[in-house]
Amino acid sequence: MLDVLVRLAGRGRRLRGGHDGQPSPSARRLTAIGAVLAAFAALVLAALPGAAGAAQAGTVSSDSSGDTVRFTAGILNEVDSFNPFLGIEAESFEMWSLMYDSLVTYTQDDMSPSPGLASSWDSSEDGLTWTFHLDDGVTWNDGEPLTSADVVYTFDRILNGTVEKATWGSYLRGVSDVSAPDDDTVVLTFTKPSAVMPLLPIPILPEHVWSDVSSSKIRSYANEPTDGQAVVGSGPFELVDGTAGGSTYTFEANPDYWQGAPHVDELVYRVYKSEDPAVQALIKGEVDYVSGISALQVDALSDEDGITAHNADSPGFDEISFNAGSVDLDTGDSLGDPNPAVLDPAFRYAIGLGIDRQQLVDKVYQGAGQVGSTIIPPAYTTFHWEPDADDLAYDPDEAGTLLDEAGYTMGDDGLRTLPDGSPIGTLRLYARSDSQTSVDTMTYFKEWLADLGIESTVKAVESSKLTDVILSGEFDAFQWGWYVEPDPDSMLSYMTCDQRGNWSDSWYCDAEYDKLYEQQRVTTDRDERAAIVQKMQQILFEDAPYLVTAYNTVGEAVRTDRFACFEPQPAETGVWLFGYGVANYLNMRPVSEASDCADDPAALQPTGSAASGASGASGAAGLGTGAWVGGGVVLVLLVAGGAVLLLRRRAGAEDRE
Amino acid sequence: MSVVSEPALASAGAPVRRGSGYLRFAATRVAGSLGSLAFLLVLNFFLFRVLPGDPARTLGRGRFTTQEQLDAFNAAYGLDQPMLQQFVTYLRTTLHGDLGISLKYRVPVTELIADRIGPTLLLVGTSTVLAAVIGIWLGVHSAWRHGSRFDRFATGSSLTLYSMPEWWLGLLLIVVLAVGVGPVPGLFPTGGLHSVDVDVWSFAGVLDTAWHLVLPVATLTLAYLADYAMVMRSSLLDEIGADYLTTARATGLREAQVRNRHAVRNALLPTTTVVALNIGFIVTGAITVETVFSIPGLGLLATEALSVPDYWVLQGTFLVSATAVIGLNLVANLVYGLLDPRVRA
Repeated sequence: MLDVLVRLAGRGRRLRGGHDGQPSPSARRLTAIGAVLAAFAALVLAALPGAAGAAQAGTVSSDSSGDTVRFTAGILNEVDSFNPFLGIEAESFEMWSLMYDSLVTYTQDDMSPSPGLASSWDSSEDGLTWTFHLDDGVTWNDGEPLTSADVVYTFDRILNGTVEKATWGSYLRGVSDVSAPDDDTVVLTFTKPSAVMPLLPIPILPEHVWSDVSSSKIRSYANEPTDGQAVVGSGPFELVDGTAGGSTYTFEANPDYWQGAPHVDELVYRVYKSEDPAVQALIKGEVDYVSGISALQVDALSDEDGITAHNADSPGFDEISFNAGSVDLDTGDSLGDPNPAVLDPAFRYAIGLGIDRQQLVDKVYQGAGQVGSTIIPPAYTTFHWEPDADDLAYDPDEAGTLLDEAGYTMGDDGLRTLPDGSPIGTLRLYARSDSQTSVDTMTYFKEWLADLGIESTVKAVESSKLTDVILSGEFDAFQWGWYVEPDPDSMLSYMTCDQRGNWSDSWYCDAEYDKLYEQQRVTTDRDERAAIVQKMQQILFEDAPYLVTAYNTVGEAVRTDRFACFEPQPAETGVWLFGYGVANYLNMRPVSEASDCADDPAALQPTGSAASGASGASGAAGLGTGAWVGGGVVLVLLVAGGAVLLLRRRAGAEDRE
Repeated sequence: MSVVSEPALASAGAPVRRGSGYLRFAATRVAGSLGSLAFLLVLNFFLFRVLPGDPARTLGRGRFTTQEQLDAFNAAYGLDQPMLQQFVTYLRTTLHGDLGISLKYRVPVTELIADRIGPTLLLVGTSTVLAAVIGIWLGVHSAWRHGSRFDRFATGSSLTLYSMPEWWLGLLLIVVLAVGVGPVPGLFPTGGLHSVDVDVWSFAGVLDTAWHLVLPVATLTLAYLADYAMVMRSSLLDEIGADYLTTARATGLREAQVRNRHAVRNALLPTTTVVALNIGFIVTGAITVETVFSIPGLGLLATEALSVPDYWVLQGTFLVSATAVIGLNLVANLVYGLLDPRVRA
């Protein structure tokens, strides 16, 4: 290729040797292109001597010599907004928690409520008044003090706002008044007791900045750095560069952070639009961490020296959902055309015994997952209810027996019939074409249904299209999943009658379930509430609108030859980053300081060459040496090339005369 | 090249004054383009409204819990208004140069497009120029010595590259040239458009961007070489037996002069058309290459907007790219008319 380029550059020169001695316009153009090509070729050449340097020019410096310590994370999705009232993506939530604090945050072990800006709280006997006591002496990074007035301002903005309410409204449901009797105290008044309290992960925003953002401007207020001025916040890091939808975001440590300064000076996120290049960048050392990689990649990375990879438990599940009864909410008539069989809880439950969840985990999830059971993942130890192992195990015989008992007996043609003797027909199963897991799951499901004597077809459509299909009620089953927040309230609500036509995708509706849902919402005693929540999961398991197939994991990898001391959330099996709260951004250390956590069994220890004391390359001082050397060579080659071109041209001109 | 010779007879009879004839021709073309633009403006709105999905539901899944929250979102971004009302708003704002607010990124679409168009132009522009120049060179030499070893090699390899999936070729380049395999060191970055702490407009910044662009540009160039090489090759093959070349040779011109100044000049027209067409599509970007090399371009923006669907981003990018195609076709038409009087008829 290089050869072709160089010769091509020469072509311009030769063309130029025209009859008239004056280069024609087209020849001049071609020469210009030749020059560009020469430069391009030179660049290719230039990279060769600079190779060694270039390989290290990437990112991090974990020297102990006082250089900037930069941690670079590769992420697979963009931040959709740095404005906490607007963004929706998980990446955005992570950025806000770096920039701002909340009153209450989450523990590292099991994501239960843990003190944030509020060091303590208490509630009145009737549960209608909650009082939060703020830490004294917290300041914004522009020097202004953070007081209860900022908290009141933020909460009021959500309660009285439009888009503000969209993202955060559910956390303040039932709040009738927010007040600040003094600078360090915030009082919330409720119309009825709220079981979700004291969980308040809402980022507290500086009133002196946000009061300038009118309610009409808020819907497109970007909250990004202007003229190199960091965004005003109180968190451990401040955003100094980056725009929503951009490809890099740069944060600098807040040295005055009230929980202590972080141990890295700079935090950079780099967006990769596909998984393989991100993994390659980690191997090369351009990034120190990647999240969201597949189980296969985790496997491959485990052999790399200096890299630690794992499949971490992610608090979410995948399910096969049935159409449990789509209805027109205005008239109460049935909507769409669900098969009578899937409307029957006994039928759905029996099918649940006919699916091999373990095989799904092994084959579809490549082992990176856990057998699923209910809608509250086991990571939430307090609230999760686990059915009897026998009721989850793959047992097609038992499934057949239950189907027979419920009246779905086998016909002469080897296919089961409805209790009235008419054929079941073909069940319409939907998969999401944008998820391989979804398509594979439904392909297996179709086979298992066939084993039970039930015909079906699988149709893969885009998620957005599936949303329309679900709302129309014209389906029998589909595959999807949910991400479950530490408080189970939202997830539980998606299965209530009220959510039909809204977030309920199974159209499930059960009076007893709804009654328990309302009850758990006002039960402030955690154990008492947990008992109700578990009872609700049992009802769902037995009525089986969802067959929860698997609990997901998320693949993460970190350069442990450069950084260490991350602690998993939840304990042992959880994630290092992109969890709840910012604990690991404060825990993480360059390997030179990793002795801080050497005695902590939960902390991730350094590996590879770094463990023996060697430190990473120093790349923080701007462009790497490789690129500089390359630049020099490009210049020299350009000058030399130009001279040669000039000489050849002159010689050519003489030749002609 | 029969296309070139036929219309010549039609306009031969009545000599028209050059100025007025061209003006009339130009006016027709401009009016045609304006008509296309007007049609585009209307189509643009309805084209994306028929997409399946509801932005508030796609974006709010797992975040918005209540109907109230969904309503608040729809009200804030005008999605609760009747379709006709939305269309009128769209026409008014678009004609004022306001392309609306992205539903996903919540910033004005004009800002998003301004941010994204640079990388795309740089990537696709550079590689179109490179692919055209190298492709034409290959095509000329393949045709001139058709059947030779060079011809078979050039044609074979450019077609092989053309048939490779771009993402695969790109990934191959990343593994070999960015990460390094065996003795080959990692020379180039794995992705992105520039390093984090470099001022883009400084000398080092320009160098850094060029360094980042080497692999993606190489991928696109290699992938599209055949586009130009094949057209050039076949149109030059049409000319090779022509009498005027024998005449040229008879006057004692060297072979290279016969080729470059006589044959290629006549064979270049179809290739020019291909180049002009492709330049129109530059703004649309190269989605797969942008994905593999994580280059934040326009193509990627539009693709990702589809899944929401982010109506205003889709409308904006479609409007910009379609306008570019219409505009460049107009320019190409006008230039043709200027160069070759026969097409004015």
